[in-house]
Amino acid sequence: MTAISEVSRPRRKRADGWRWAGRIILFLMIIYTAAPMVWMFLTSLKSGFAAMQFPPQWWPKEPTLEHYAKLLDPSESIGADFIRYFGNSVFVSVTTTLAAVAVAVPAAYAFSRFNFPGRTFLFFSVLLRNMFPAVIFLVPLFILMRLLGLVNTHASLILTYLTFGLPLAIWLLRGFYDNIPIQLEQAARIDGATRFQAFLLVVMPLSAPGIIATAIYSFIGAWNEYIYAYTFLSRHDQMTLPVGLQRFFAENTTDWPGLMAASFMMSVPVVVMFLVLQRYFVRALTEGAVKH
Amino acid sequence: MAEVRLREVVKTYGPVVAVDNVSLTVNDGEFVALVGPSGCGKTTTLNIVAGLIDISGGEIHIGDRQVNDLDPKDRDLAMVFQNYALYPNKTIYKNLAFPLKMRKLPNSEIDEKVRAAAKLLDISHLLERRPRELSGGQQQRVALGRALVRDPRAFLMDEPLSNLDAKLRVQMRAELKRFHQDLNATVIYVTHDQLEAVTMADRMAVMSGGVLQQYDAPEKVFANPVNTFVAGFVGSPAMNLVPVTINQSATGAAVVGKDGWRYELSPENVRKAAKSSDGTLVMGFRHSTLKLHHESRPNTVEGRIYTAEPTGDITFAHVQLGSDIIVASVTPDVHLRADDVVWIEFDPNRVHLFDGKTQQALTV
Repeated sequence: MTAISEVSRPRRKRADGWRWAGRIILFLMIIYTAAPMVWMFLTSLKSGFAAMQFPPQWWPKEPTLEHYAKLLDPSESIGADFIRYFGNSVFVSVTTTLAAVAVAVPAAYAFSRFNFPGRTFLFFSVLLRNMFPAVIFLVPLFILMRLLGLVNTHASLILTYLTFGLPLAIWLLRGFYDNIPIQLEQAARIDGATRFQAFLLVVMPLSAPGIIATAIYSFIGAWNEYIYAYTFLSRHDQMTLPVGLQRFFAENTTDWPGLMAASFMMSVPVVVMFLVLQRYFVRALTEGAVKH
Repeated sequence: MAEVRLREVVKTYGPVVAVDNVSLTVNDGEFVALVGPSGCGKTTTLNIVAGLIDISGGEIHIGDRQVNDLDPKDRDLAMVFQNYALYPNKTIYKNLAFPLKMRKLPNSEIDEKVRAAAKLLDISHLLERRPRELSGGQQQRVALGRALVRDPRAFLMDEPLSNLDAKLRVQMRAELKRFHQDLNATVIYVTHDQLEAVTMADRMAVMSGGVLQQYDAPEKVFANPVNTFVAGFVGSPAMNLVPVTINQSATGAAVVGKDGWRYELSPENVRKAAKSSDGTLVMGFRHSTLKLHHESRPNTVEGRIYTAEPTGDITFAHVQLGSDIIVASVTPDVHLRADDVVWIEFDPNRVHLFDGKTQQALTV
């Protein structure tokens, strides 16, 4: 007995040590990721003068929401612009997301279920775009968009974002469909469902976590994208948020609190989306992992 | 319930012929087992009947309708899958209700039928659970319930018992057979387990390489296999099959093993052997038809015990006959040791002779 406890005690202590090391690392990572957000939020509550003080005001002495009020006031030019950019971003991102899901779901299903000539080749060629850095396609895509007459339209961005988001979406969803036994659809079809009903009533609900993951990925990609939006759009009323935020940089002065308030509001939809949908995310990961 | 008829059904995948000219009729209320090793085309045949696979040629009739081009949903069949294929995101109640809902029955009628089926299968207490919370046997019942809730024209079953443990399988086998008798249902049952086919089916269709080898009542298939494949597939342990040549003599004929052992054929078997296309035969005999003696007797063949497997109520003796090993069964009180010399006596009325070249059974 004593021998056993003597052997096991240091081992258990070491496991505790590892656990604490893990906690410390996680804590540092949380600080690393959250601190900029916190600082962004604190700065957005300061006055323009207070934001530039040195040594910095760690905590705003006279917190104010005036920058938020200004951004959300359509009667001021900056507020009107911000709301328009926000609307543009929402439109581009939501349309991209819907289109990505609408294309990726049937494409992934077809890759998973049907045998057609060139299936493997097509499936891997979907990945071709992802083998190169996105910037490489900037000029070719710009030329293409000009030929199509799409420069300065949101359609140019939506099409571009789709080419970035779709490959991963198709691959991810195909994995989901591969894991859904084909007998489920066959059973549904024998039970009286058409092929489409079998897909809609049986397969779709089972692949919902995958579809949600795909949608989030597409949405965030489109929401944050800067370089293409900057290149393809030159008209002010069309700009999306990442590009529009430049308005806060002027030649001599930069409205830091205003910029931070705008940045903070820009991150709100993504954070909210994650908070609402994270349980589906987790379920998507755990459901596949546990065999029954 | 209805009759199901296949006529010269062919299914090809490119150059591969999965189902080769299969014709068979399943009578109304009959339990037919499609049996064969993996890849023999039995599941493909079942899926063809279900409408999940389009055929390349031939005709399928269910009742008086030709259903070649009908969608699965319009064929009015029910199917039980090997993995049960229960809808994992629906409760058991909704699983059972799904086929009725698809046929747009009023809710009150759906409820009535679901509860009746659940009661019949003793799963009423599980209706609010989800499939993954159920044991394998319970899932099996739900799968069966989803099939019979609708009163289809025929039941298709694709190895429904193969995922159950051995004890439960024996129990469910009896229940399925009983269920077939009570409902007077037309059942097409796919299995690779010849024992399931023999014990449950009114008729069994033995398939190999996409070809229907023999279609008859299990006892007839067992007694008169049409070729060496069926002979070796049906029955456990399998029928012993030994290649031999014919040796004509003045008094009759004998078969000679490739190691020189010799066995005189009965007059009837001589006439069968005469039909051999090239003078070679495959001699088949089941373990239960052999007798082992410790001393030489007229027209016995010498062998050597390779090993003996006592199973309790029967002992299987593996006997070396020349370079072949055959299986004979003896009562457990007979003590056999490895390398004992024994003399094998064949039952002339139950020796099967097959053509050495075509592997077909030889008949008078």
